[in-house]
Amino acid sequence: MKTRIAVRNLRLCTKDCLCLYVCPTGATDTEDSIIDISKCTGCGDCADACPGGAISMVPLEYPPQQKKEDSVLTESYRMIKNKATQEKTAAQIAASTDDDALYRLMTAVARSVRLVNEDLLRESGYMLPQSGNTHALLHEWAENPPADDFPVEAARKLLELIPDNDA
Amino acid sequence: MKYVCSICGYVYDDSAEGIPFSELSDSWVCPLCGAAKSLFSPPKTTAGSITPARTDPTEAAPARTTAAHSTEEMHRLTAGELSALCSNLARGCEKQYKNEEAGLFREIAAYFAAVTPDEPDGDLTHLLSLFENDLTTGYPAVQSAAQTAGDRGTQRVCVWGQKVTVILNSLVQRYQREGSAFLRNTQIWVCSVCGFAYVGNTPPELCPVCKVPAWKFDKIEGRNSA
Repeated sequence: MKTRIAVRNLRLCTKDCLCLYVCPTGATDTEDSIIDISKCTGCGDCADACPGGAISMVPLEYPPQQKKEDSVLTESYRMIKNKATQEKTAAQIAASTDDDALYRLMTAVARSVRLVNEDLLRESGYMLPQSGNTHALLHEWAENPPADDFPVEAARKLLELIPDNDA
Repeated sequence: MKYVCSICGYVYDDSAEGIPFSELSDSWVCPLCGAAKSLFSPPKTTAGSITPARTDPTEAAPARTTAAHSTEEMHRLTAGELSALCSNLARGCEKQYKNEEAGLFREIAAYFAAVTPDEPDGDLTHLLSLFENDLTTGYPAVQSAAQTAGDRGTQRVCVWGQKVTVILNSLVQRYQREGSAFLRNTQIWVCSVCGFAYVGNTPPELCPVCKVPAWKFDKIEGRNSA
């Protein structure tokens, strides 16, 4: 059974096309340059042959997520709350201003703060979609949706698609 | 005399420049990353210059009632926090080339963003006080907890997040001081990896905070061009 698949980064691909020559199943030869994962056997010959380093082998299964200390999480979650408030504040100012410069500045701030917050959350127990933490949230939403208009089907579908590595 | 940019490390050397640093106007910014003049300081002379700025141990985290509530707290995240949590997981799926899963997480992130209640103090002064709070207490507290626990991932988050917060703080302060003139006829760019914000016609060749190339920057569109 294959444990990994080849993916091509189009930004790095210099069209040397060695992947076409070495692929035993023709998986790399497609009209949209995206490697056909149904044909890919995970052998890695294309990644080894690629002179541009544009192909990498992505695992199909991921290891359990690294554990975090409670002492760090407590401080990080305080910061996560602040960042969410900052993002909302900036978005509100952007929505209510007539000044195009302020609109752009606050849109930039809201986007920037969101990225910083995603980074904090990634390092605070939500790095892998396959983590037990992620699954606990998805289960909670699937079983007790927070509101009637919550997209509960999305949560259910994610539970089907993503394995729980910490189970 | 030399002055070092606290964001990107650019060195302004008086002996190599026509104008001494002290005589540069207050609107002068770092030629590499756009940081304000006030974010420059003389180089650290001690051997331990790798230590990030602002981690003065005397100022570090006040003792706090610890962990008891942390797990519980995590399970009661606000809508705004859950939106960021889900957009983070969407990015995690994208990195694994799982597009369907990424789309589903984005859908949940959008739901939580839509139901996030307005902040009662939605003005620039309040925004600046929130940045200031992160810089004086928030980051030092996370940094010190991460150092004690030997958590280098979280220390990295602090290095990046602190620099990005300093830049945002500085840009918003400048807007309050000078109005919108410095943003007219130019662009605002945000690094799609770390969130670093840059004012200029083209983005920097390398992100001064996380070092990704220029194409990783997104241009912030105005309301009319969007």
